[in-house]
Amino acid sequence: MTEFEFLPRFPLPVNPLALFGVLLLAGVLCGEFTRRVLNLPRITGYVLSGLALGSSGLGLLDATMRDYARVFVDIGLGLVLFELGMRLDLAWLNRDRWLAMMAGAECVLSFACMFGALVWFDISPLHAAVAAAVGVSSSPAVVLLVARELKAEGQVTERSLNLVAINSVVAVLALTMLLSWIHQEYQSGPVTMVLHPLYLLLGSLLLGLLAAHLTLDLARWLQKRVEQHAALLLAMIVFLVGASSVLKLSILMVMLSFGMLVRNLDDEHVLMSVDTGRLGQIFYIVLFVAIGAVLNVANLAVSGALAVVFIAARFVGKSVGVLSFAHLSGIRPGSGGLLSLALLPMSGGAMAMTLGSAASYPGFDTRLAGMVLAASLLLDLAGPLAVQFALRRAGESHEEEKT
Amino acid sequence: MTSETMFTQSAALTMGVELELQILNSRDYNLAHDAADLLTVLEKIEHPGEVKPEITESMIELNSSIQTRHDSLLAELRAIRNALAEAARRLNLRIAGGGSHPFHKWSERRIFPTERFRHVVEVYGYLAKQFTVFGQHIHIGCPDGDSAIYLCHMLSRYIPHFIAMSASSPYQQGTDTNYQSSRLNTVSAFPLSGHLPFVQSWDEFTAYFEKMRMFRIAESMKDFYWDVRPKPDFGTVEIRVLDTPLTVERAAMMAAFAQSLAAYLLAEHPLKPLEDVYLVYKYNRFQACRYGFAGTYIDAYTGQRCPLKDDLFAALERVRPHSAALGATGALETLEQEVKAGTSDAAWLRQAHEKTGSLNDVVRMQSEEWMQEEAAIS
Repeated sequence: MTEFEFLPRFPLPVNPLALFGVLLLAGVLCGEFTRRVLNLPRITGYVLSGLALGSSGLGLLDATMRDYARVFVDIGLGLVLFELGMRLDLAWLNRDRWLAMMAGAECVLSFACMFGALVWFDISPLHAAVAAAVGVSSSPAVVLLVARELKAEGQVTERSLNLVAINSVVAVLALTMLLSWIHQEYQSGPVTMVLHPLYLLLGSLLLGLLAAHLTLDLARWLQKRVEQHAALLLAMIVFLVGASSVLKLSILMVMLSFGMLVRNLDDEHVLMSVDTGRLGQIFYIVLFVAIGAVLNVANLAVSGALAVVFIAARFVGKSVGVLSFAHLSGIRPGSGGLLSLALLPMSGGAMAMTLGSAASYPGFDTRLAGMVLAASLLLDLAGPLAVQFALRRAGESHEEEKT
Repeated sequence: MTSETMFTQSAALTMGVELELQILNSRDYNLAHDAADLLTVLEKIEHPGEVKPEITESMIELNSSIQTRHDSLLAELRAIRNALAEAARRLNLRIAGGGSHPFHKWSERRIFPTERFRHVVEVYGYLAKQFTVFGQHIHIGCPDGDSAIYLCHMLSRYIPHFIAMSASSPYQQGTDTNYQSSRLNTVSAFPLSGHLPFVQSWDEFTAYFEKMRMFRIAESMKDFYWDVRPKPDFGTVEIRVLDTPLTVERAAMMAAFAQSLAAYLLAEHPLKPLEDVYLVYKYNRFQACRYGFAGTYIDAYTGQRCPLKDDLFAALERVRPHSAALGATGALETLEQEVKAGTSDAAWLRQAHEKTGSLNDVVRMQSEEWMQEEAAIS
C-alpha cells in the first residue's frame, strides 16, 4: 500500500470503450482523408486505417483487442444486414421473374467458375467448393454503405442490393453444407451434414419471424412516433445479434430474415420508415476498421497469384449470370455491366467464417485459407471503388451536383 | 406572322389531357429518380397516348390523344394508367397523382438531362427544382385564333372553379400548408406567370408576342407560365391551373367540365370579355387555393360576392344542355354530388394523414389510389 494507490497502474488495461473511441477516430480521420484527398470511398479509408493498425501494420489491433471490439463489429454487421433485409423485396422478385433468374444464375455460374478454376490449380474438390461458396456472396456491408455514402438511388442500386442479399443467403447455406461435409471427413456423422444447415436455415427464419411479429405488435402499440420506432428497431437488432450468437445461428441469416420479414409481413403498415443507417454510422466505421485489421499483407506474397485467378473467375461467373438476364429484366442497356461490377466486393462475414472453420479442421488446406484471405484483401480495397464507379456511372449517385 | 404565332386550326371542342405524375420508390415512398428507366420499360408495353419526361427525374408526364367525348377519354387514360402502372411494378416503383409530394425535399431533386430543362435551371435557379409540383393541363380545340383569345378571357372567370375542384396539394416539404392547393404558390414565383394580357383578337395577341420577343423577354409560347394560354401550334386553349387529381377518373371528369364549359362559352357567347375580371382575378384565385369551394368568389360582371361553391352550381346549370350533347352529363353530375358532399382530393389526403399519422403512409395510399392495384390484377 502506498499513498499513490489512487493512480492507475501500468501497463494500462484495455478498456473496450476507449478502444472503440480510438478505432472510431482513426476510421473517421482516415476515411475523410481518402474522400477529400484521394476522392475514394470513405470505406476504403476505414479499411486502410484498420490495415495500418492491425497485424500487417503497427500491430496495435491484435487478436485480444479484436475480441474487445467484437461486440461493436457485430452490432454494425447486424445493422447492415437488417437494412439489407428490409430492402429485399419478395413481391418484386415475384413480379420480375427475370430478376430472380438473374440472382440464381449469378450464384450458380460464379460458383462453377471459381470451383473450376481452383480444381484446375490442383486444389482438392471439396476445399475448392468451400472457397467457391465463400466467393458466391458479395459483401452486403460494402455495397450498402457505398450506396448510402453516394446517396445512390435507382435500378442498379436497388437491383444490386437485392442480388447481394440473395447471394449472401445462398453462400451461407452452401458453406454450412460443405463444412458439414468436411465434418464428415473429420469423423462426424452424415446426420450433421443435413441437420446443421437445416438448423441454421429454419432456426434463423423462426427467430426472424418471432422477432418480426413482436416488433410489429410493439410498433402498433407505440403508435406512429419515429423516435420510438427507431429505439424499438435498434433494441431488436442488438438483441438478435446476441441471441443468434447464443443459439449458434448465423447473424447474417437471422438479421436478413428479420429485416425481410418485418417489411414483408407489415400488411397494415404499422412500422414507420426509420433510417437505421444513420443509427449505425459509427458502428459501420468500426466494422471496416476491424475488417482491415484482420487482413494480412503477407498472404498476398504467398497466395496472391491464385487469389487473382479466383477473383477473375468469380467476376466472369457473376458477369455472365447478370448479363444473360439484364436485357430481359427491363433495365437500360449498359446497366447490366455496371450491375455485375457492383457485385465485386466479397463478403467479410463469409471470410470470417472460413477462418473459423479452417482453424477447427487441422486438415484444411492452409494454402486455400491464405488464398481466400488474399482475395479478401484485394477485394476489400478494390470493391468499394468498383461499387462507387458503377453507381456513379449509372447516374444514380446523388452527391452535391456540380452546377 | 411567324410560325410561333400561326394558329393551327383544330376541330372545336376536341380535348386532350396532360398529367404530371410522381415517381416514387416503394420503400419509404419518397420521390425516386427513375424516369429514364421507366420510359425504357414503357417502350416495350403497348399503350395509347404518350408518356414523356418532365423537368426533374422524379416526374413523368402522361398525354392523352385528341378526344371528343368523356367516355373515350376516360377509357384511354385508364389504358395508359394500366401500362404505366405495369412498367412501374416491374421496376419496383410506384406512381401517384396529387399536386405536390407531401414530404420530399426540393433540394434533393435532379434535373432531367435535356437542353431545355438545363436552360430552365440556368435561368430560374432553385425555382426549377422547387417546380417539382404536379399539374393537369387540359387542351380545348378552337376553330381559330380569335375564338381562342375569347375563350381564354372567358375561362379566366372560371379559374377558381378549376383550382378548387382539382386541389390536391395540401402538404409541402413535410408540413400542412393550410391551403387546398399549395402548388400554385410555386408557379406564381415565376416572372412570366399570371394571365394573358387583355388583348381582343389574335392579331393583337400576335403584336403583343412580337413585342415581348423584341424585348427578348420571351422566345416561345412555352416561356409564358400563364394559368390559361393559347397554344397556337396545337390550335387549342390550355388550362394549366389544375393540380393532378389522385385518379385518372377525376382527371377525365375535370376535362369533361372544361369541354362543356367551352362549348357553352363558344356557342352562346354569353358575355363580352371584361377587364375587371383581372382586377378580382388574384383575389379569387387566392381564395380558391386557400379555402377551396368554401372560399369567397367575386363576380366581376355583377360585383356580387358568394361562396365559390354556389357559383359552380350555377355554372353547372348553365352548361347542362351542352354537356348533354357531349355525353358528359354523368361526369358533371358526379362532380356536383362530390362538391355538395364536400369531398375533394385535398380532404382525402388530410383524412389519410389523420388516420395513419404518417406522411409516408399518405403517399403510399396516394399511389394505391392512382395505380388501382386490385383493378389491374383482376
